[in-house]
Amino acid sequence: MALQIEDLVKRYPTGTEALKGVSLSISPGQFFGLLGPNGAGKSTLIHCTTGLAAPTSGAIRVFGHDAVSHYEQARLAVGLAPQDLNLDWFLTVEETLDYHGGYFGMPRRERRERSRELLEAFSLVEKKDDRTRTLSGGMKRRLVLARALMHRPRLLILDEPTAGVDVELRLELWQYVQRINAEGTTILLTTHYLEEAEQLCDAIAFINGGEIVAQGTSGELAARYGVSSLEDAYLELVGRKELSRAHLVAEEAV
Amino acid sequence: MSALTDQPTQPRAPEQERGGGLLRLSGRQIRFLALVRRECNRFMKIKRQTVGAPLLETFLYISVFGAALGSRIHTLHGYRYIVFVIPGLIMMAWAMNAFTNNASSILQQKFQRSIDDQLSSPASPLELLLAFSLGGFLRGGTVAVLTFVASSILVDLPVEHLLVLLAGLFFVGFFFSQLGVLVGVRAEQFDDVAVYQQFVLMPLIFLGGVFYSATLLPQPFETLTHINPVYYMIGIVRYGFLDYSDVNVALALLVLAAATTALFLTNLRLFVSGYRLRA
Repeated sequence: MALQIEDLVKRYPTGTEALKGVSLSISPGQFFGLLGPNGAGKSTLIHCTTGLAAPTSGAIRVFGHDAVSHYEQARLAVGLAPQDLNLDWFLTVEETLDYHGGYFGMPRRERRERSRELLEAFSLVEKKDDRTRTLSGGMKRRLVLARALMHRPRLLILDEPTAGVDVELRLELWQYVQRINAEGTTILLTTHYLEEAEQLCDAIAFINGGEIVAQGTSGELAARYGVSSLEDAYLELVGRKELSRAHLVAEEAV
Repeated sequence: MSALTDQPTQPRAPEQERGGGLLRLSGRQIRFLALVRRECNRFMKIKRQTVGAPLLETFLYISVFGAALGSRIHTLHGYRYIVFVIPGLIMMAWAMNAFTNNASSILQQKFQRSIDDQLSSPASPLELLLAFSLGGFLRGGTVAVLTFVASSILVDLPVEHLLVLLAGLFFVGFFFSQLGVLVGVRAEQFDDVAVYQQFVLMPLIFLGGVFYSATLLPQPFETLTHINPVYYMIGIVRYGFLDYSDVNVALALLVLAAATTALFLTNLRLFVSGYRLRA
């Protein structure tokens, strides 16, 4: 398995239980979508997987490597593009990639070659000497994704990567991640754009209240909730089926 | 976006040797150097503020206390007043810069969440702590060495006990470096660092005898000075330079080494638990 999570519990010191025994398996090469409303536990699950949060109990394995106590090999295999544009203002675009490669043990020549590839791939060549704080939102988003790919991870985690980006960039990003998925990179995606999850993901899990409540392909999830689309299945999950387009059309017809 | 081959690679063993040049480093060594380079790069990018300003500040002290006061206080324990003061100023430069750098760097990275890039890397808590510590230690050392070199040009500054001096400055730098890490990790806003710096460190350093000898103070101030840990640090450094000290140097070095180790272990515990760093 690319990612195997078993009975994962995360309880914060405040007493809030963000994850209540989550179990999840993602196969190598899969494009996996994790959907759920705000506060459902998506980011907490990602943070536990990448070492940004310490699980209260449970197990996480990345390509068979323990991601909690003997995390070194597991973290080498994971690339994270977080929801926040968490770039260091003091660094230039190129330095951001170079240091990240260094943190993952890449030698200088390999870092130089890889960062050149990524700067070209993400149209950041002209900005390579600019400090990150001077970049536009779209450029920052590109850089966050490029940084996550710098060490050639086998599992790429995208936490709402298209939040706040324009249509053009969003489509570019999707084409790009589809290509790297086709080349073998496993992808875990969280997004609020359901049509994208439907189009991109070959498996989807719904998470709500810190629990995985349903899992399958978009067709299977729609069937499970007795509706015709992933969006309607999601609205059923969050208890807002009155917002369904099908429901609104039916009401107008009445 | 242009075409790019992104076939993922197998995770490599951290001890595997990399690079093809004369210097073959393991993945772990590359990682640690990258973490340290990042910390040094940060302060070098704003060197006017992080190196230039402290240097100027030190020279203002030398001008005011050396030239102005020094013309009235000719000697102190047999040394020219300016010569008596400079060892304390060098120590103060190292201490303050080590502290400020680490506290600010960690807090700023926590604030931007850019620290997540290091925290989600394969780096161990020990590697992270050492890298953050070295940033401030090296910045403080740079300012202290530059102050020493410039002072040596201006006045004849002896170095009587080189080993004691090096050991003393190493522990002072590392102690304040650890203190900076501790405050940076605990801080939740920039005010937290400033308060500690202005209301705790500055009074301790100024009242520790940088500009005077505690033996000249009236009671109860002389006795009170003896409960200030900085007093003993200045004593060690002054002994290294001048062969004069108000304190038992060997005991002071031992206590300083023990305090530095204790602080380092406390910080390591915080890094292992992820206190205010990880959720």
